[in-house]
Amino acid sequence: MEYIKNLKDKLKDAFHFNSKKERTDAVVRGFFLLATVLSASFIIVIVFFIALEGMIPFVTDNDGLGRVDLVRFLTGTTWLEGTAFQSNLYAVGFIIVNTLYIAFLSLLLSMPIGVLTALFIAKIAPKRIAEVLRTVVELLAAIPSIVYGLFGSGLIIVFVYNFAKLFGVQSKGGNSVLATVLVLSLMILPTITALSEVAIRSVGKDIEHGSLALGATRTQTNFKVVLTSAKSGIFTAAILGVGRALGEATAVSLVAGNARSGPSLGFFQTTSTLTSTMLQGLKETIGIDYDIRFSVGIVLMIVILITNMTLNFIKRKVGNVDVK
Amino acid sequence: MSNKRKRVDFIYQAITYIASSISVIVLSMIFIYVFSNGSGLLNWGLVVNDYHAQFYNGGIDPVTEFSTTDRPASLGDESYYSERWGVAFSEDIDREGKTIIVVDYVAPDSPLHDMFDKNNDVNEDFAIIRGNVVESIKFYDKNSALAVQGAEHMINELDTENEFREIVFSSLGGGIRGSIVTTLYVIGMTLVFALPIGIFTAIYLNEFAKVNRVTNTLRSMIEVLTGVPSIIFGLMGLAVFVPLTVRYTSADSANLVSGSLTLAVILLPVVIRATEESLKVVPDDFRFASLALGANKTQTTFKVVLPSALPGILTATLLAIGRIIGESAALIFAIGTAVKDDISIFGKSTTLAVHIWSLMTDEPANIELASTIAIIILIIVLILNITVKLISRRFTKRFQ
Amino acid sequence: MKNNVFNIKNLDLFYGSFQALKDINLTIEKNKVTALIGPSGCGKSTFLRCLNRMNDLIDICKIDGEVEYHGDNVYEKGHDVINLRTKVGMVFQKPNPFPMTIYDNVAYGPRCQGLKDKSKLDEIVETSLKNAALWEEVKDRLKDSAMGLSGGQQQRLCIARAIAMEPEVILMDEPTSALDPIATLKIEELINDLKENYTIVIVTHSMQQAARISDYTAFFLMGDLIEFDQTDKIFTQPKFKQTEDYITGRFG
Repeated sequence: MEYIKNLKDKLKDAFHFNSKKERTDAVVRGFFLLATVLSASFIIVIVFFIALEGMIPFVTDNDGLGRVDLVRFLTGTTWLEGTAFQSNLYAVGFIIVNTLYIAFLSLLLSMPIGVLTALFIAKIAPKRIAEVLRTVVELLAAIPSIVYGLFGSGLIIVFVYNFAKLFGVQSKGGNSVLATVLVLSLMILPTITALSEVAIRSVGKDIEHGSLALGATRTQTNFKVVLTSAKSGIFTAAILGVGRALGEATAVSLVAGNARSGPSLGFFQTTSTLTSTMLQGLKETIGIDYDIRFSVGIVLMIVILITNMTLNFIKRKVGNVDVK
Repeated sequence: MSNKRKRVDFIYQAITYIASSISVIVLSMIFIYVFSNGSGLLNWGLVVNDYHAQFYNGGIDPVTEFSTTDRPASLGDESYYSERWGVAFSEDIDREGKTIIVVDYVAPDSPLHDMFDKNNDVNEDFAIIRGNVVESIKFYDKNSALAVQGAEHMINELDTENEFREIVFSSLGGGIRGSIVTTLYVIGMTLVFALPIGIFTAIYLNEFAKVNRVTNTLRSMIEVLTGVPSIIFGLMGLAVFVPLTVRYTSADSANLVSGSLTLAVILLPVVIRATEESLKVVPDDFRFASLALGANKTQTTFKVVLPSALPGILTATLLAIGRIIGESAALIFAIGTAVKDDISIFGKSTTLAVHIWSLMTDEPANIELASTIAIIILIIVLILNITVKLISRRFTKRFQ
Repeated sequence: MKNNVFNIKNLDLFYGSFQALKDINLTIEKNKVTALIGPSGCGKSTFLRCLNRMNDLIDICKIDGEVEYHGDNVYEKGHDVINLRTKVGMVFQKPNPFPMTIYDNVAYGPRCQGLKDKSKLDEIVETSLKNAALWEEVKDRLKDSAMGLSGGQQQRLCIARAIAMEPEVILMDEPTSALDPIATLKIEELINDLKENYTIVIVTHSMQQAARISDYTAFFLMGDLIEFDQTDKIFTQPKFKQTEDYITGRFG
């Protein structure tokens, strides 16, 4: 009883206002808090509902087709054995491999270019050129992915097709691992450049001067000391770049070639990623073929999460010589 | 300094220059590619026309009075004119590269005004007008004149006749009016959903919230949204907003509202961050001064803090618009990929970006039209970016 | 004359339109410690940075006059700055080790010169660290990050890093101002030891420090070199009133 009385008093206190102004404050504050809680809740909504839909193929019998076997789904090497709507033999194992393979190849390609561009903008270029380049990078970042997709499927796959012919390889119109990697590395290049530039610019002048005073040249200082000092920030850029590469959908779906089985490790082979698989044949689909896309969505989120955590772990290990 | 060191330095330097030039090359290549493929189709007609051509079969009763209008001087040399029927045709190339015959002129006293719609008994709006595409003219006693035979042939055939069975013509399709209208609707609705929630959240986090565990959790939950790929938002839209709108509105599938709601969620972190950043720049002195004058927190926020943060909110809005125009993956799920001409906010449709995706996944892909739309998107995005830059440049000076 | 490392003649230095150094004439003697003292903003650090041309890094900085290093004017056109800086090392106010291992920090300079031989590098690292009185403290963790050292250790590492280049001169820009008294004492002892092999020019805020460690002292005020003499003379019988005011603490 005592407890309830206390609570009542507390409540009374909470709702007692000295003036009208205080009351408005409380109401407005509550209203804003509501907006905040709503904003924050969406991540839960996303995870919950995609999980809900994505579980269906594994827990129901899918209109008589039977449950999808989870282990097989995660390890298999063919997207769908049998005919669509008549089979439950879906698998994304090879697609996970494809997705990671492509994302890391893209990073491998755009990382050096991006970091060097950032170094150039931050330390080497004259002011005006640096400003122009910075604008160029901003514009590249602002170009929507669908335009990269258009560029990729109009120009890059043609280039890849001809390139493959040089090696005597007949690629499927250029839709290939290489084309996907090229398009993706172009797309993550501005992200990596912009973030690396910030990291490089934040390296203290004193460290730079320390190197110059030892008789190192400007170039030696830039490459040996400045880049080392910006390591942690550059690593963050790489993590965000990989995240973007893993999640990119439309542009990839236009150049990947949508391989139905794999994994595709050869540069001129067609491939498929988790995202391109989700988009494939979306227009005319229902039932399990529809639900399974949500399952792929869950896999994509988990892949991104694990990749992120792994890279952050490596960052902590490698980057223990941290910038202040 | 030894020569070897100089050489090594030079090589490193050269590598940096080459790497930096790649960004410039890529940007120019994208622009050159898109413009060289798309500029051919870029004209006003594209922007105002429907995507799907409407076909008409026009019949005519025996004609008593023919046209007496002379060939108008305004017609170019490439137009062919029938004085009897008071109509001029010319040849053009359509968006798929085929030769078509276009109506250039219809005289005010042309008997063609008396045509009736053979497919609908009552059709008041029925008329053949400038800009229509003529497929064929069918006569009673001789072969039809077809578009492939050219405009001159068609006019000659028509000019020697006093009657015809029907004219098959169509409105000029391939326009993107529907997608433009959809994009505008989606921009409007998304902003209506996202701006208030985003701005209120930013105000709460920056002005009201105490620094504690709960606030930090809320903040990081919002922060996480930035890392979620847009295709996942698309799935969420499909799983949450589409069923919601289907249930409570007249919609029966993915629609503009579900798409806008999905986009609003994508944009929330963008709006929140930009607003918060502009709130942070407002010096605390302003707040204290207002509070010291007896204003309460609400008044201070709305009368002092928020106005100072307006440019930041404007920047957020422009960035949001850029993102909406460019977004494709999420909308493929949340709005659908069917290109429409009659736009209803509870119907399926495509924004410009999804329209490109639709064109590119068709067999065969229509790269020309896709590039033309890409030009429009690029120009808008460019303008938005420059504006944002100008605003933020002006604004950063303000409190310094 | 033979014993003079630096010979500075009529040196003027401008930051834009502000004249930071006015007609400085000074000689730095070999294997001696020369202290530069004066109130903040008097130009003593600026002067120090003229000796290894670190002022080049400031765009608006303009210099007239001559800084002769063994008879060569270092500001002459075409003078090899990089080479000068390998001969004239520098230690900064705030310890600024690179975010690398202790070993890599010390080996950095020689490596930049193109030295790759592992055993030679090992040797240089060891002697440099020994000469900087840091070897005993870090010999077991050479592969650890230098950022994990204490402030005083970091500063001695920076000295080791400078020694590794086997310079003739070491410039020190208030090397102890960011350190606690015990670390300061260690650095001062170190400077005393180093003077046998190196010529040291040190900027210091503390007159006691100048009195303790230096052979010569130069007093700067508002860009002017007021007085330059043997340290005991400056501190016992200064020629100028400003010098006396400053060393007796009667200065604003």
